[in-house]
Order: sequence, then C-alpha cells, then structure tokens
Amino acid sequence: MRLFSALKKGACKTAGSYKLLITMWAITLVMILLVAMPLKRGLKIIFSKSFATDRLLDGFDLGLVGDMGSAFGNLLGSATYSGFFLLITGFLLYTFFAGGLFACYTTAYGSFKVSAFLKSSAHHFHTFLGIGIMILLLIVVWTFVIIGIPAAITGTVANDPFTVMTVSRIMAVVWALGLPLWFLVADRARIWVATNGIRRVFRALGAGFSSLRIRFKVSYLAVLSVFIVNLALLGLVFAFTAGALPEKGILISLFFIATQALFVLRIFLKAWRYATVSELTPGSGELQ
Amino acid sequence: MKRLSTLILILNACLQISGQAIFQTPLSPRVTGYDITGSLNTKDHTVSGKMLAWWVNTSSTPVPEAILHMYLNAFSSTKTSFAGEGRWTAAGDDGWGWVKITTITDGAGNDLSGNMKYISPDDGNVYDKTVMQVLLATPVEPGDTLRLYIDFESKLPSPIVRTGFAEDYYFVAQWFPKFGVYETAGMRQREADGWNCHQFHPNSEFYANHSVYNVSMTMPTEYVAGSGGVLVEEINNGDSTKMLVWRAEDIVDFAWTAWPGYKIVKDKWRGVDITFLTFQQGLRIKDKQLEAVKYGLEYLDARVGPYPWPHLTFVDPPAVGAAAGGMEYTTLFTSSGAGMVPGFLKMPEMVTIHEFGHAYFMGILASNEFEEPWLDEGVNSYWEQRIVDNYYGDGYGMIRLPFLKGSDADLGRLSYISSPSRSAATNDLPSWMYPHGTYSLMSYQKAAVWLNTLEGIIGTETMDNVFREYYRQWAFRHPSGRDFINVVSEVVRKEHGYRFGEDMSWYFDQVLYGSGICDYKMIDVSNSKITGYTGIIEGDTVTFARSDRKTDSLYKAVVRIERIGDVMLPIEVVVGFDNGDVITEQWDGTARYIDFEYEGTRKIVRAVIDPENKIDMDVNRINNSWGRDDNFPASRRMLAKYVTLIQLLISMITI
Repeated sequence: MRLFSALKKGACKTAGSYKLLITMWAITLVMILLVAMPLKRGLKIIFSKSFATDRLLDGFDLGLVGDMGSAFGNLLGSATYSGFFLLITGFLLYTFFAGGLFACYTTAYGSFKVSAFLKSSAHHFHTFLGIGIMILLLIVVWTFVIIGIPAAITGTVANDPFTVMTVSRIMAVVWALGLPLWFLVADRARIWVATNGIRRVFRALGAGFSSLRIRFKVSYLAVLSVFIVNLALLGLVFAFTAGALPEKGILISLFFIATQALFVLRIFLKAWRYATVSELTPGSGELQ
Repeated sequence: MKRLSTLILILNACLQISGQAIFQTPLSPRVTGYDITGSLNTKDHTVSGKMLAWWVNTSSTPVPEAILHMYLNAFSSTKTSFAGEGRWTAAGDDGWGWVKITTITDGAGNDLSGNMKYISPDDGNVYDKTVMQVLLATPVEPGDTLRLYIDFESKLPSPIVRTGFAEDYYFVAQWFPKFGVYETAGMRQREADGWNCHQFHPNSEFYANHSVYNVSMTMPTEYVAGSGGVLVEEINNGDSTKMLVWRAEDIVDFAWTAWPGYKIVKDKWRGVDITFLTFQQGLRIKDKQLEAVKYGLEYLDARVGPYPWPHLTFVDPPAVGAAAGGMEYTTLFTSSGAGMVPGFLKMPEMVTIHEFGHAYFMGILASNEFEEPWLDEGVNSYWEQRIVDNYYGDGYGMIRLPFLKGSDADLGRLSYISSPSRSAATNDLPSWMYPHGTYSLMSYQKAAVWLNTLEGIIGTETMDNVFREYYRQWAFRHPSGRDFINVVSEVVRKEHGYRFGEDMSWYFDQVLYGSGICDYKMIDVSNSKITGYTGIIEGDTVTFARSDRKTDSLYKAVVRIERIGDVMLPIEVVVGFDNGDVITEQWDGTARYIDFEYEGTRKIVRAVIDPENKIDMDVNRINNSWGRDDNFPASRRMLAKYVTLIQLLISMITI
C-alpha cells in the first residue's frame, strides 16, 4: 500500500509542478529549433525544386544518398555535430532544472514559483552536475561489468555469436533490473543536497548510497515501476516518431504537436520519479 | 603398381556410380571429367586422392601439353599472387594450404612426373604455383582423349577464403588438380587454339569446362556432408569412417563440405530436390532461405531458361566457417548471415538469390570469370536485383523500416554512383587488373546499373527475350562479352527494327568499354511574358513604346537541359503546364544541351528528365526535375522527427 500511496503522492506533486515542467519543455524546444532550422534549410538547398523529394515521403530512401553526393555527407555531418552539441547542452540544461525540481519536491511544495525554481536550479547546479556525471560514469562501469565482461568471456570460450547474443540478452535484463538502484542513489543524493543545502558531491553520493537501505524494498519497487512506465513511453514515442509518415502540411503539424505532447509526458514521468523518491525519503536527519 | 591401384580404385568407384547417370542425354559437350576417390584427414586437414582426369581434344590440331589449375597452392606462402594481392596469411603453421601431385601417368602408362612445370601466365610471379604445365609423352590428336592418372594430396588452408578449414568445419573447393579450358580459334573471339588457364587471384573467380564428376570421399562417421553432386551411396566402413559417393554431371566445379554440426533440411521445387545445410540457429530462418531459393528458381526459369538439374544443395555456414559464405559452385552454393541479421534486412535472402543465380550465369552460361567478371557477376547482380525487388517489394526489397527503405537495385546503384573511383577504369578488364580496389564496383555494381539502364531503354520484355535467346544460343557453352552483345543486338533489331541503330555497340562502347559517367541536368525552366514593343532610334536616343495589345497572358516557356557527363543515352523529358497539358519530348541525348521552347498562354509548372527513372546510369537524379513547391513536406517532417529524437536522447542521458 505504501508503494501505491507514494506513487500517487508523487504523481500529485508532479502534476502540481506543471508550470515548471512546461517551462523546461519550452526552453529545450527553442534551443533545439534554433539549431535544427538551419538543417532544414540545408535540405531545401540540396533538393531545390526537385521532385526527388517525393522519394522521402514514404520513409528515407537510401537510394537518394548517392544522388545527394557530398551534400549528404555534409548534411549528415552537420546533423551529427549539431546533435552532439544539443545533447551536451541539453544534459546541462536538464541537470540545471533538476536542481529546481528537487528543491520544489522536498522543501516548498505547493508554493513554488518559476522564479524560485530557477533560483534553486542555479543554486544546486554544480553539485547536481557532479552527481549526474558520477552516476553516469558508474552506470558505464555497471554496463561494462554486467554486459561487457560476460559477453567477452562467452565470446572467447564459445566462439559463437549466437551464444554471446543469448548471454548478452540475459545479462541485459540483469542490467536493467539494476539500473533503478543507480537512479535511486542519484535521487537520494540530490534530495540530500536539496534538504541540507550542502553542496558537496561526494558527501551527497555517500548519503545516497548509505540511504539505500532505508525503505529499500518499497523505494526500489517505486523507481522500478516508474522506470518501466518510462521505458514503455520511450518505446511508444520512438515507434510513433519513426513510423509516422504524414504527407500533408496539416498532418505534419499535427504530428509535431503529438510528438511534443508525448515528450511533455516523458518530462512529467521523469519528474514523477523525482517526486516519488522524495516522498519515500525520510527527513534529512535520517540521511547521513 | 601405384597406377594399377589407382585404376582399380577409380574403376571400382565408377562401376558403383555409372548406373546412376543423372541425364540420359548430356547437357554439355563433356570435354572433361574427373573420377576421384579420396579421404578427408581431419587431423592433418588434408584430402588425399586418386584421380582419373580426362580431356577430349576437340580442336583440329594435336595438343602437346596439358595445363592444370593447382588452386590450393595459392595458400602456400605469402609470396603467391593470391596472398600478395589479397594480403592473405595462414593462421599459424597449420594454416598453409597446398596441393601436391605425387604421381602422374597418362593412359599409356607414361610417367609424366618429370614433365611438370609451374608457370605464371598472368604476372610472371615465380613464387606462384597455381598453374601447372604438363608436357605429354605424345601429343593428343584431334578427337582423342587424354587420360591422366593422378595421386594427389591437398592440404586445406586456414583461415578459410572460400575454401579451407576452421576447427572441425570444412569447406572443400578448388581442391584437386583441374584442367584449364582448351579454347579453339574463334571461341570467345580467340585467334588461335590454346589453353586458357589463369593463376588464382583473390579478386577473381574461375573458368572451367562442364564436366562429369564421380567422387567418393571417406570421412569420419560423425561428419555431415553435402556437395554439388547427387548422393549415390553412403557406406559405413565400420572403422568410424564412412564413404560418400557423389555424381554430378555438366557442372563446372565440384565442391563439398563436411561438419559434424550441420542440420539438413529437404524441400522440393517442381522436379528439383533442394537440400539445405545449416546450423542449429540457422534453422530459425530456414523457411525464408528456402523461399528465397524458390523465388530464384521460379523467376529465372520463367525469364531466362529452365533450371536443368534435378538437384540443388545450398549451405548456410556457421559462424566458424562464415568465410565460406557467399560463393557458388553451380549445383552447390553458400549463403550467409542466417540468424544474425534482423528481419527487416533481406541480406541472407539476397545472398541466397544471388548465389543461386550463378547456376545460370557461369553455371549454365559458362563465361570466363577471370577475364570478364562482369559477364557473370554483373549479369547475375542485375537478375538478383530484379528478383529481390520483385518478391520483397519494389522500392524496399532490401530494407524496409517505417522510416527507412532501400531497394536492391537502388543500393547497387548507390555503390556505383557514390564511388569516387566510378570512372577509374573501363568495365572490361580482367578481374585482377581493376585499379584502386574497383573490382567489385565495376564487376557487380556498375555492370548491374548499365544492364538496368539497358532494360530501361529497350524495355523489360525485350530484355527478357535477350536473355532467353542468350540461354538458347549459349547454354552449356562458353560465351564471351562480345557474344552477349551480339545477342542483344540481334534481339533488339528483331523487336525494335533500327530504332536503336544497326546494332547496340554504341551503348556497350560507352558503358562497358568506356569509363564515362552519365548525368543529364535540368539547368533552368523559365516562363517569360511576351511583350510587344516598337522602337524609334534617333541619334543616341532609343525610345521604346510598349504595345497596347493585351499580351500579358502570352508566355515563352523554356526548358533548358544539359548533358554533364560523357555518356550519351536517349532520354525522355516530360513537361507539365499550368493548364494541365503534358508534353513528352524525346531527345537522343547526344548534344551537350537542348532547349525545349513553347509559346502560348500556358506556363510550365514542372519538367522532369527521365520521369520513369529508366536511366539508372544517371549519377544524379536530383538535378533531373524542376517544379516541386519550395515548402516540401518531407523536410518539415524530418525536422519534426529530428527535434523529437534529440529531445528523447537528452531526456535519456540525463539522470
């Protein structure tokens, strides 16, 4: 019951912070559009008034790559570099916003203004960035240990890609089941920072790890539940984004609105995890 | 004594097999034949064999020598032409490969051991021992048969390159001393009689006579084996070994494979028994593989000619033997990639169809793969693309995802048009002489592209008739490229008269014997108002007075096209007007430019060169058309997808 209660309270908190979440979405969208619009222009320059674009309507036709010649490489290069730039900037931006969200969910729920959100975001940014990077590194190590090493050993012993694939699939499930633990550590560490106001990365991480034992079962299940819902939504968004082939102007606009709606939902789900873990985390006194 | 034992062994095997003839009437002239009794030694990775090899002198002059391929010697050192060109080296001391003739005598009992000499007709490499000249005791008179009794030992190489072993997996090809092809004057435009026998090159396949093979092979009992022949008998020797007896008729090469892990799947298409050798995980896509081979059988049987053999074996090698994949030995071929390739990518099916197609293009129509690789690989790739795109979807035969698609023909064309070396050489070079690594590009992709273009120009029906006639005239013979071109000209003239000229050499001179590219470009489309005016010249002053007639609705509409490339092909141009009129223009494509002008009240709203995309040779189709609205939906949709993808990725990497 405690699990459902926590999930429910977390959902309520998330819903209450809709203004903050919409702000996050809007800022990110503007940032991405600023970079993506020139790419669209580049595509127009390549195709000019050619009817060859008809071959893009039913999915990207690989046959066109040759006709595009070096322009394709340039466009792909631009899209890739822009993508990397956006990922790094986006990572920093979301880490920034996480500061505000955790402050909102742990300290002043119900009366949190956008200005206070941005102030808290700025206040916690460096610490949250350190925590985020450390947890990412730990996840990389976790991936290597759980998937990489067994796959390498199996590959050496069995010398059969099918066996390697089977072992990797099994280990991928183990990896995924372990992933919520890292999220939990990250969230608890950030809650510790938000509640104590101490901006020390490694102390926060220590607090995150040591607090794992507190309400472990229910906390793990809560994070796992949200993780599974998030995963399902991600799958849905990817499938929809990749598969939809609207051809007319209005349909394309509707498609864009739909994808953005799904992405806003994705932001809400991520915030739901923050809020739920905050709900399941005892007062700062218990977090050492 | 040794010759007697060889003779007894071979006769014994022949007696067992002779009653098992596959064809009452031979399909080919059967100039050569091989009766081989051998055993696979899995400890040393060798095949020891005794062989009777015979050859009939069909020329009008005595022949004093025999020339034999000794292919496995390509793997004997890093100084062979094969190893040098392909940078092959053995996987340890156990990996070198070779073939040795221990005894060789002729039908009269003359020992020819002292008459053997390695020659290197292609490059003079003294370290290359893949071609052997045997001076005969007496010349072979016209119409006579040369019989050579040979004891040989073949050491299989590792790593596998088409042939060899890996752990307990064996794919045994090019494994015995084999006659070259004795070509008579006139054959393949040859000026004088002589042997055609090339060294083994990595970028080359083979050339051989259609032969009869009787092969008896002993191997450990636990091995599962398959070959290009019909299994006549399987005898358990009672000493943990078994002997498999195979017979094959009218095929150009005999290869076999053995591995304890093979799973056998049987199927049938009309009168053809299909045997599929695969591995445990490969069984998952056995139905797809069998379906693919049946597609190939059905399509080529209907459009080229009948598949004449009642048997067909194909192999999907396991990972350990993957390097044996994607190769053809007429009634035996290897596919690849089963189980490791996602379902949306039709790669295994494509490989299966391609390798099966070789049963026709060099199996039945036995061209010289050394000298004219395009004639088997290019022609076969063309048919493979037609089959794949016909059965798996036109426009998405190879890849079909909701957001990504690619037809087999388009992907082949992509390889050609996007290569920086697309003009590096003409398309008629011997396989080992293509520069800058362009062997595959030229032999497979470029040739398939210009065959697709030829189909676009003369029509699919005529193209099918070309190949029917090619099959009718050249099945179980050795056609050259010129012979193929002659058939094309003959059929085109028969069906289209002189519409394409006296013959089709103008086409092949450009695409096969030339290296130019083809690119027609829509330079500009304009719709200018025709305004009447009068002028009065007074000294230095020019005064114009616009006519008062209402000519605002009169336009001079012009389509300007240029030929950017060197290749000149007849093209079609479709011009669409704002009043719904559509005009189709024909242009022979020879000039550097052409303008199509129209005067009237209508304006051009679109113009398209080659609207049906018949000219696959055109290296840039984006510049073929004009008239698409600036705000085309595809770019808006791509932008929306790009934005969402980046958003999702950001949300995923942020904890």
